[in-house]
Amino acid sequence: MIAFYALSIVLIASAIFTVTQRSPVYSVVGLLVNFITLATLFFTLNAEFLGVIQLVVYSGAILMLFVFVIALLSSGVGPFSEGPDRLPRILLPAILSVLAGFGFLAFGVLHAPLGTPPVAHSASVLGPVGSANVFGSVGDFGVALFTTQLLPFEVTAFILMVAVIGVVAIAGDAVPQATRGRHVRRKRSKDREPIVKAGR
Amino acid sequence: MSVELSNYIALSAVMFFIGVTGVVVRRNPLIVLMSIELMLNAANLALVAFSRAWVNTAGHVFVFLVVTVAAAEAAIGLAIVVAAFRRAKNVDVDEVSRLHG
Amino acid sequence: MSLVEFIWLLPLAGAVVLWAFGPQLQRASGAVGSATVLVSFVATLFAFGSATGPVPWHQVLLSWVPGFTFGLRLDPLSLLWTLIITGVGGLIHVYSIGYMWSDRAIARFFAYMNFFVFAMLTLVLSDNVVGLLVGWGLVGLASYFLIGFWFYKPSAVAAAKKAFVINVVGDVGIMFAVFALYAATGSIAFSDIFARTGSLEPGVLAAVCVALFIGAAAKSAQVPLHTWLPDAMEGPTPVSALIHAATMVTAGVYLVARFAPLYSLSPSVQELVGVIGALTMVTGAILGVAQWDIKRILAYSTMSQIGYMIMGVGVGAYQAGVMHFFTHAFFKAQLFLAAGLIIHALHDEQDVRKMGGLRERLPFAFWTMLIGTLAIIGFPGLSGFFSKDAVIYGVLEHGHPFLYVAGVLTAGLTAYYMFRMIFLTFFGAYRGESSVEEHASLPERLMQVPVAILVVPTIAAGYFSVSFGGPSAWTRFFGTLFQVSANVAGPVLPISELGSSLLVLVLVAAGIVVAYVRYGAPAAQATAPARLRTETERMPAALRHAFWFDDVIDAAIVHPAQALGIAITRFIDPHVIDAGVRDVVWVAGALGAIFRKLQTGLVRGYALTIVIAAAAFIAYFATLGAAK
Repeated sequence: MIAFYALSIVLIASAIFTVTQRSPVYSVVGLLVNFITLATLFFTLNAEFLGVIQLVVYSGAILMLFVFVIALLSSGVGPFSEGPDRLPRILLPAILSVLAGFGFLAFGVLHAPLGTPPVAHSASVLGPVGSANVFGSVGDFGVALFTTQLLPFEVTAFILMVAVIGVVAIAGDAVPQATRGRHVRRKRSKDREPIVKAGR
Repeated sequence: MSVELSNYIALSAVMFFIGVTGVVVRRNPLIVLMSIELMLNAANLALVAFSRAWVNTAGHVFVFLVVTVAAAEAAIGLAIVVAAFRRAKNVDVDEVSRLHG
Repeated sequence: MSLVEFIWLLPLAGAVVLWAFGPQLQRASGAVGSATVLVSFVATLFAFGSATGPVPWHQVLLSWVPGFTFGLRLDPLSLLWTLIITGVGGLIHVYSIGYMWSDRAIARFFAYMNFFVFAMLTLVLSDNVVGLLVGWGLVGLASYFLIGFWFYKPSAVAAAKKAFVINVVGDVGIMFAVFALYAATGSIAFSDIFARTGSLEPGVLAAVCVALFIGAAAKSAQVPLHTWLPDAMEGPTPVSALIHAATMVTAGVYLVARFAPLYSLSPSVQELVGVIGALTMVTGAILGVAQWDIKRILAYSTMSQIGYMIMGVGVGAYQAGVMHFFTHAFFKAQLFLAAGLIIHALHDEQDVRKMGGLRERLPFAFWTMLIGTLAIIGFPGLSGFFSKDAVIYGVLEHGHPFLYVAGVLTAGLTAYYMFRMIFLTFFGAYRGESSVEEHASLPERLMQVPVAILVVPTIAAGYFSVSFGGPSAWTRFFGTLFQVSANVAGPVLPISELGSSLLVLVLVAAGIVVAYVRYGAPAAQATAPARLRTETERMPAALRHAFWFDDVIDAAIVHPAQALGIAITRFIDPHVIDAGVRDVVWVAGALGAIFRKLQTGLVRGYALTIVIAAAAFIAYFATLGAAK
């Protein structure tokens, strides 16, 4: 109980920190704290496998990706520069609508019944963490993933493949130059026109 | 559980809306992408909470799916940011407004 | 195809062929045009028997809604008109071949003439008011075409427009009557309407009769809608003969006679029609005294004679009025055609002040014109004598003594101005400049033959109405058609029929004598040029301006209408209508400008929009769920 409140305070604080910092590196750090706290919360909810996944994939891979991109985009030693603010007074409407959304959501959640639980798909039981086929364990997750929830698994594979192709296509380098002039040479990425024209 | 399900939902909602605010207010594209990650994680939290409440592993599988999608989307989003702002003077979301009327 | 359909449609076929192949046919179109009309005439003779039977011949052509059937009807009235239209019309067509011999647009002329014959036949052969109205409009159109035939003459174009516009006024009257009759009786066919006259209230009945008469007044050039007829003389002379003497202008007479059952039930409207007819009769005669153009003299005389006819059918003397139409068609056509001979020989000179002494040089024209003149003034023994006296006496019989007096006096005036014309044209010395030529070529012969043929009915047509013991051929012809027009004069008439005829003769003789003294006597002819000059200069203003009818109509109607048109063009069109269109365009642009502001291209703005919308959705579903 106390753990929940403590963790939730850290969660919210780090979230606000992430969103409000000027420097993206600070935001990455805040996000890291957020993810770790979230993983801890997962652990308290008996979702061990997911907690580990959260740590490994999210904070380990995705955040590192962010850091690399920050490094790539920082032109030299100067900080990021931003242009003139075109929507200067957007903070207030944003906060208002967000509060409205939250308020109505809270109202809905509090006044509406949360519905009946669905038929249990998994034959998992709650048990001490660590044992096999207990709810939230790796075995239980694997059974679900490869049997009853096979479709999401396949879809996941597909999504990842598409993502790789997309990334290479968008930001990838040019084809190597040893082609003896028979193929059409793709433009080197640094020669390509940026989407944002310099000096606009 | 001494912590009610609705508490987790409230926490998830707060995190989600903080992410929304970040998307709308910030102009640095990287911060925007990070706010999107925040929103996705809020959804993950809600999913895990419900999955625990009903003791159903399907929720976990869905979280797995969301994480995958989030990873893919972050990758592609960053690739776009790199491509768009490679040599730009200002790294600012307001600069990519060529679709204006 | 029935005989009557054939009679009706053959001129239309002729018109279409001539319109289509005019340039190829050239002068042969004259033969084609005349042939169609003459063949129709012969066919009409064959239809004589079926029309005068106990039941009028009837054929339904098209049946649409119950009560809305179109068909053809051949009864004595329409048969008479058809005979005149095709017979006299055919003769005029033959005459026109000669008259329009050297005109380049001869094919167009005959196409229009055939079209006119078809239109007039539609008018008289219809068995329903709508068909009559259609024919009514089409003859107006044909008249417009033919008056403005020489369209490069601005005066002709103006005259054609004037005629058409004044006729439209009449069309409105007839349209109103058609609507009222259909609404009251539920049918447009004559037979139904006449059978159901009881279902018309007296007020509606009177209104319908007045409306119909407005149409008749416009078409038949009754005062005050007569101003188009003198100007219509701008058309070629055969046109004046056919349309503006023999047939089209008599459509009003036909209308009143056709609706005799309705008119007989509204004595007040009958009075009105009679008075207007008499007024026209007198006005036409007075103005005929003051004309110098030979065709205008004849035009005003036509107006006056039609006044006689309208007066006759108006008061209820249907047989007499129609009889006068019958005889008038012959002698007026003859007069116009003979005048055409003169005009042709004098190379288009129409002013009688520049004529004179043509008796020796154009003897054929002289004798034919003299016969026609004698007929029109009512010389004993000729056709006009019988018909005019019948009308005049009929007016007295139906109880209108003042109209009777007007008719008698006008007979004297008619004699005066007609003989004025004769003396000025044919007697004395030739006052003109152009050479008088009369050849014996084919065009001349083609013009002279119809005139010669017309002499016969001009003299003899009146004898139909003479009763050689028993009812006359005329009465037997009409049978029971006008049974409603029983003599209504109750008390003993102050003058007998014979006495009336003698009174008229006295006045006619007086008119001839005065004309002789002023124009025909050798003394008058010797000083003719000077006398004519003084007469021209001293012509009273009222006569010179034809009682200012044209000027009054111009000021009261034409100028305001033109001013309205100019005002609309200068102010309403650019500032109201165009402004309205511009405003619509401006609104579209303004809306576009407003919505363009939403397309900022800024992602954050779009994101905010999504957030707001999402909040709204959450709100909706949250409250919805809570309500459940």
